[in-house]
Amino acid sequence: MFSTELVVQTFISGVMIGVLYALMALGITFIYSIMRMINWAMGEFYMIGSYLQYMLVALVLGPDLWWLAILISTAGVFVMGLVVQWGLLKPIFRKPPEQRDDYATVVTLALLLFLRSVATGLSGPNQYSPGSDLPIIMVGPMPLAGARVAAFLFALAALALFYVVLRYTWYGLALRATSQSRVGVQTAGIDVLAVDRLAFGIGVALAGLAGALLAPVFLVYPTNGLITTVKGFEIVVIGGLGSIPGALIAGVMLGLIESFGAAFVDSSYQNIYGFALVLAILVLKPNGLFGERGREA
Amino acid sequence: MAPHQKVWALETIGLRKRFGGLLANNDVSLTVDQGEVRGLIGPNGAGKTTLVNLVTGVHAADAGEVKLAGRSLRGCDMHEIARMGLVRSFQVTRLFGSMTVRENLMTAFLARRSPEAGDGEERTESMIRVTTLGHLADTPAKKLSGGQRALLQMACGFMVPSSCYVLDEPFAGINPVIKDAMIDMIVDVNKRTGATFLVVSHEMAVIRRLCPQVTVMMEGRVAAQGTLDEVARLPDVISGYLGKSLE
Repeated sequence: MFSTELVVQTFISGVMIGVLYALMALGITFIYSIMRMINWAMGEFYMIGSYLQYMLVALVLGPDLWWLAILISTAGVFVMGLVVQWGLLKPIFRKPPEQRDDYATVVTLALLLFLRSVATGLSGPNQYSPGSDLPIIMVGPMPLAGARVAAFLFALAALALFYVVLRYTWYGLALRATSQSRVGVQTAGIDVLAVDRLAFGIGVALAGLAGALLAPVFLVYPTNGLITTVKGFEIVVIGGLGSIPGALIAGVMLGLIESFGAAFVDSSYQNIYGFALVLAILVLKPNGLFGERGREA
Repeated sequence: MAPHQKVWALETIGLRKRFGGLLANNDVSLTVDQGEVRGLIGPNGAGKTTLVNLVTGVHAADAGEVKLAGRSLRGCDMHEIARMGLVRSFQVTRLFGSMTVRENLMTAFLARRSPEAGDGEERTESMIRVTTLGHLADTPAKKLSGGQRALLQMACGFMVPSSCYVLDEPFAGINPVIKDAMIDMIVDVNKRTGATFLVVSHEMAVIRRLCPQVTVMMEGRVAAQGTLDEVARLPDVISGYLGKSLE
């Protein structure tokens, strides 16, 4: 029963879904590393991304232009992120830093409830699927769902773009500098609130992208962001809060452990295997694989 | 005296700041002339760092105001003040720890670049030569020694020409070689660009070399001003700060 084929297929599907989870975790950890706050409404941006994708594919563009819909959905969530930072978070960050993350927690939790209610009010509790007429792709003897392969490749491209922006552009330099010293960048003459806006937009756009990509797989409904958000936080704990490589590696680890658990133990516990990994990490390495206890210089 | 006619490079007017029960700055007024290198001395807790934080926008004053070349800085954010040409250093360095020396310098350059200033590569390389940090150019800032960090922080401030520098204890705990290099940089920038400096320090030997005039703060107020030798003879300054007269 433990055929090589099954192991390879399980491995591939684990990596593929893990990269999608990593997008979510990267968004959480990126916003945290710049703004030192947790965005608890992350799953709602995922949800909005999936609704945008559904509406664009079902009502406007048609299934052939699914890739264009993904770009537009992601951009839409990015713009929403800019607006949320400008309207809700920037006023908090103008105040002294003492209780900033407490306020940010309240604000983003309120946003979570608000967005979920709006989605329920507008679309009802129904589940939608943008469908996908992408063909099954054969890797050797193994069939892979076209939508999953497309989502995987899109996610890889997004991660590559994210890396290039962060590593090679002036914006990336300003973002990296801000993650290390908010006072330092202000002293250098950088408007730290403008950096926040960009970071929040990028962070939620990663969640929106994940939502749009996974819409055909995990369906579209008001609380569909919940499971991926929980997984995002699991990954952040495993990889270390604020660590970008940690988010990527832990994302793939989580995808693999779920995939193998579902295939070789019991698929009905799929969402629980990750917690075992989280517990193991908390015992062995409480700061996560790549977490730092504190920052210096 | 006609204080409203002269435009000072840096002027504070009646600055007041209270932290809970502590009146950290109480009616602090001082003026620094264009191109001057002014020393700011006083015992620990006298309010020197608070003054620096008020001047550079880290804290908002409860009362009073700061003027840079005659322009009020009221309501300006830290980054706006930096862009207006008032640059500071911190007693505890605020560098970008995981970024290399070169990236730290580039960030300081790009944050306030002017369109005609080029891409900053040349400026960065020349600053690395001046600071003799060449062998550490690609080392993360958090791996540097305390003195090297202080030197790098000062170099970051000098990456873009500014009209006024406020240095908060730049020499504390720094070895003599790096200290001399830092003093040389300050003198050089001051001579070449005519920039104004306000230097907070406890190191009387350095203050004597750099600063023709010093301001003494005690208990949140300006207690005295004059040459170092003049203020060092005042009984209040001796009893409250120096402990004994200099030399």
